Amino acid sequence: MPEVSLSHITMRFGKVVAVDEVDLTIADGEYVTILGPSGCGKTTLIRVVAGILEPTQGEVRINGKSMRGVPIEERDLGYVFQNIALFPHMTVKANAAYGPTVKDLPMEEREQVAKKYLEMVKLLDKMSMFPSELCGGEQQKASLARALATGAKLLLLDEPLSALDARVRVDLRYELRRIAKSLGLTVVHVTHDQEEAMSVSDRIVVMRAGGIVESGTPEQLYTRPRDVFTANFIGETNLLEGWVKQRLPGKSTIELRDNSLIEVENCDPQVGEAVVVSVRPEFVFPFTDGLLSRIEYLTYMGTYWRVSSRSQSNDMVEFDVPSIEGKLYHPGQEVYLMFNRNAAVVYPRPKEGVTEAVKLE
Amino acid sequence: MSRLERATAFVSKPRIRNLWTLIVIVFFLAFVITPTLFVLTYAFTNWDLIQTEVIQDPEMMSQIWTAIANSFEIAAIVTLIDILVGLPMAWILVRKKFRGKELLDTLIDMPLAVPTAALGFSAAIFWGITPADLTNPLGLKIVSSPFLLIILLHIIFSYPYMVRSLSAILEQIDQTFETAGQTLGASKLTAVRTITLPLFRAGLVTGIILCFARSLSETGGTVAALATVANTDFNTAPTLIDSLKSTPALAFTSIVLIILALVLLVVVAIVVKKLHIPFRKVWPRPEKILSRGLAPRLKDATSVLFLVFIVLIPSFFVFTFVFTSSPSTTTDWSQFGQSLVNSFLIAGVVTVIDLAMGIPLALYIAKNRSKWLPETLDILVNVPLIVPTVALGFSLKLFWTGGTPVSGPFAIFLVMLAHIAFTYPLMVRNVTGAVEEIDPTYEETARTLGAKPIQGFKRVLFPMIKASILAGAIMAFTRSLGETGATRAVSTTVLTAPNYIVNLIKLENDYYAAALACIILIIISYALMLALRYITRRRKGVS
Repeated sequence: MPEVSLSHITMRFGKVVAVDEVDLTIADGEYVTILGPSGCGKTTLIRVVAGILEPTQGEVRINGKSMRGVPIEERDLGYVFQNIALFPHMTVKANAAYGPTVKDLPMEEREQVAKKYLEMVKLLDKMSMFPSELCGGEQQKASLARALATGAKLLLLDEPLSALDARVRVDLRYELRRIAKSLGLTVVHVTHDQEEAMSVSDRIVVMRAGGIVESGTPEQLYTRPRDVFTANFIGETNLLEGWVKQRLPGKSTIELRDNSLIEVENCDPQVGEAVVVSVRPEFVFPFTDGLLSRIEYLTYMGTYWRVSSRSQSNDMVEFDVPSIEGKLYHPGQEVYLMFNRNAAVVYPRPKEGVTEAVKLE
Repeated sequence: MSRLERATAFVSKPRIRNLWTLIVIVFFLAFVITPTLFVLTYAFTNWDLIQTEVIQDPEMMSQIWTAIANSFEIAAIVTLIDILVGLPMAWILVRKKFRGKELLDTLIDMPLAVPTAALGFSAAIFWGITPADLTNPLGLKIVSSPFLLIILLHIIFSYPYMVRSLSAILEQIDQTFETAGQTLGASKLTAVRTITLPLFRAGLVTGIILCFARSLSETGGTVAALATVANTDFNTAPTLIDSLKSTPALAFTSIVLIILALVLLVVVAIVVKKLHIPFRKVWPRPEKILSRGLAPRLKDATSVLFLVFIVLIPSFFVFTFVFTSSPSTTTDWSQFGQSLVNSFLIAGVVTVIDLAMGIPLALYIAKNRSKWLPETLDILVNVPLIVPTVALGFSLKLFWTGGTPVSGPFAIFLVMLAHIAFTYPLMVRNVTGAVEEIDPTYEETARTLGAKPIQGFKRVLFPMIKASILAGAIMAFTRSLGETGATRAVSTTVLTAPNYIVNLIKLENDYYAAALACIILIIISYALMLALRYITRRRKGVS
């Protein structure tokens, strides 16, 4: 059963350090997403796991077995490429049968295996077509079937949905998770799309600038991210700077830059420490008192309106109101905002500044 | 550059552009295509002469057929060897990263710049058993068969063409395909054989056609090599044309050569496209063994050794000759000086005419795809590349003079026309390719920003294809500089530098002077090639 462990993986390209001292263990049967902005080293990392790149330092173990010097073809894994990479000179069926073919299995078995997985991705009726005759979503399904047909229990997905249209992308997410779970696969899925990561994963690993920021279930990372970078990268949030004025169990007070006070349930930093408070727009409410803010513009989002306002300390504060209440607000209007106490997360103010700490590069 | 820009601005004016396009098409048909293929009409107008003087002369017929058979056999063997050694070399150049790759890249192109007459002499004194008065202590003296010697010679100058065309196509094949194959459990060799090679066909066709046509049409080097080993009875079709005197026999040989070349190349194109490279059968174990460890290293080492010992050393062996033999005193160096002047004059005029007449045609073809006229022109433009230059030269002479001997300035003029005929396609091909690679939205964007079509061309398209134009110009220039066959077919009295070298070896047996002339020519050509590389490198940097 595949369990993947990476220890001290470092990958340098000349002077550029793409991956820096990464340690990560992926359990058998786990669906893990590596999430990060472009250039964070996530694709390099998955390529190291696959053996396409040999790490500068560190070791990859699959099932406890060191992969040092083991070529790609002997690692027994399935790999799905962002650019799909179906062999253009072969039919869909011949593509799916490629794994069994290069193992020189008997003809009937190649056929049988290919058909089994093409059926699983619902492409059996298109198996005699050439890749160029399929649409993007179908192509990526075919390439998934091809990867699965090797019989590998470890599946590596390198931005598998990025090249596809938005709607197809959403449909395929569920397919990916359904198939992975029904076959009991261990999956490492690389993406820069946080929505995609949230909807498919058992666990998300957030990467930035060659290193791992943190990892956790989608829910943990959304509600209680341990790092301010994660708070900003996953979902949307308001980041407000201030300092801890009072600290009591279950109720602490933070003074913001415009001297207004907000209450939070949990606060790790000590009294007097500079902090950043992260509150998602759905946990900010207009109220009779609180943070005074002037509305700048409203954006219609379908089920709700997003109201963007600016506080007296010139911080942007966004909050959501139900669709029917949209008419109650207009640009230029002044509102008092309250924060949901247990939804606010407090971080020590990063030394490099908040803007720098949440920057995507 | 500014002169080029000014020239472009002039030809870009709409009315002048349309008029120019018309002139250019007429020029192309009247000065390039018709003279190239004119000899074919000789079969209709003078069939009785061919009948009486050639077909009814069994000795002549057997001589012609033997020479043509030799040419095709040599071209086929050379092309096959080029494919076999060119594939691994293309892989090294495209897929590997290592120190010294730039150097290897330069080394491969080196024989391209050297005029074949110089290569022929150099290769012959390296491999061949030379006559007693040609003392050369370092030569291997192991090849006695002229057939084998010519094969070894033709490999030298066709090898770079094959490696280049294969690398060009390999660069376009996404490496992900191979990697995908490996993630599916295929060993490296299996992945290459079942995935990359089947995607190779287009490149293979180009490579085969280039190699085959080059080998089939090569005259200067072959004549020089055969003369160096004092061969008297072995002929390829071009050397036979070079030595024949009777017009009907020349016409007959040229016609057969042209027709066979065209037919064969069409057949090659079709066969390679239909060729089924098996990808369902695999041999996992042996292919796995061959994919790792010693075998691939051995393959790479062989490729490099082949380049060094079969291509490079024989090419430049002539340098050793000057140091190991004594100079002759009777050489008339003023003649060599004159021949250099002639060569540069011809190459210069030819290049300027290629530029003026080639760019408009290229633009017309590239921008009017899917219309029948440009499409037809696009196909026709390749014809002079495939027709052996010696047959082309003879055909052109027949067209302009009816076959009477020419001399003096008129002969030089005719030689220029002949050189234009086979260099013109190089210019058109280069520029068409460059224009087609450039996204038309650039020019459209310029138009939306208020540029007139001419300005759009001048400020947007022209700077992007400038390097290709220059590359085409330098290619045309060096090809003209190195050409022997077409020149000699028009007139043996026009003294170009390669022609001078052939005469030194063949008529005067002045080997030392020949070697020195070769070296001077090599150095000049090499300087030109460096310029070409510099320009194309910059182009890559820009894009």
